[in-house]
Amino acid sequence: MAFTNEDYLPSKEELTVPELELTSSVLRAGAHHFGKYCDKQCKEFMLCVSEDPDPRKCIPEGKEVTRCGFEFFGKVKQNCFTEFTKYFECIDHSDRQMSLKNCRPPQSLFDECMKNKLGQDRPFLGYFSSPRIHVTERPKPQLTPHKLPERIPDPPDFKNSPDPEHKFSPYGV
Amino acid sequence: MAPKGYKQEMPPSGGYADIEWAKRPAPKRIGGIATFGLFSAFTGAMWAAYYFEKRRQKIEELEMRDARIAVQPLLLAEQQRMMLKQFRDNRDEENELMKNVEGWKTGTLWGEPVYNNIRNRWLWPATEEYFAHCPYWEKFNIVYDTLNH
Repeated sequence: MAFTNEDYLPSKEELTVPELELTSSVLRAGAHHFGKYCDKQCKEFMLCVSEDPDPRKCIPEGKEVTRCGFEFFGKVKQNCFTEFTKYFECIDHSDRQMSLKNCRPPQSLFDECMKNKLGQDRPFLGYFSSPRIHVTERPKPQLTPHKLPERIPDPPDFKNSPDPEHKFSPYGV
Repeated sequence: MAPKGYKQEMPPSGGYADIEWAKRPAPKRIGGIATFGLFSAFTGAMWAAYYFEKRRQKIEELEMRDARIAVQPLLLAEQQRMMLKQFRDNRDEENELMKNVEGWKTGTLWGEPVYNNIRNRWLWPATEEYFAHCPYWEKFNIVYDTLNH
């Protein structure tokens, strides 16, 4: 492996958090509302990942995303369980891509429930596909400085040196 | 001798009809302007249908892309934690496997680093390294994603 014993790798206790064990139709059904509910955490994590692909540096941000996912889906289960169940079952039997287009009536019921109970509108179309600005306190990661070889010596200063004699020049200058 | 009882065929009474030598043009059902009008109307209607159908498809694709982007951080965080655990497992396994080999240093080739990585950038390990201590079929199933479908 590419990791020596001196390289830092987080321990398993550090990495073990309760994971969100949900199936794809549930994630698809709750995606838009989850994205809006956990907007800040998701943007922070994705910014961290895109700034530095090192997964060891974005563990706290990733844990925060999972925690927020637990919080969101727990709230949905408490408040809108029947509507949400109808919606994700519809999506599960929608088509091969689990498209949302075949499930508009249960979707509107779910959205209404989310609006009444959690006070959250469905984000407008293209919200997640458009660029989203995120302001963070986290400093930008810096690469360690490059160890360059020593600078080779400069050539001698020909401009200010006196002209050599051109006695033997073929052009006789 | 010719047999008896035959009858000589003769021209019909009043003679044969005249030979038609004049051109008989096809009857005109639709004029040029009407043809062009029909063409324009049909093409225009199809353009409109294409426009609306394409817009509908784009809206649906955008919605699905939104849904995928929205849950991506959730899945990525879980995946990265899983991979980090596997990196640690692999390193422990290599320590255990090569403990009796003289001069072997974990993560290097006999003490020489695998990559020239002066700035300490992150390098994703190769797939063969990641699945080095797995059975072949485990790697096959995961790489070719066979168990999920």
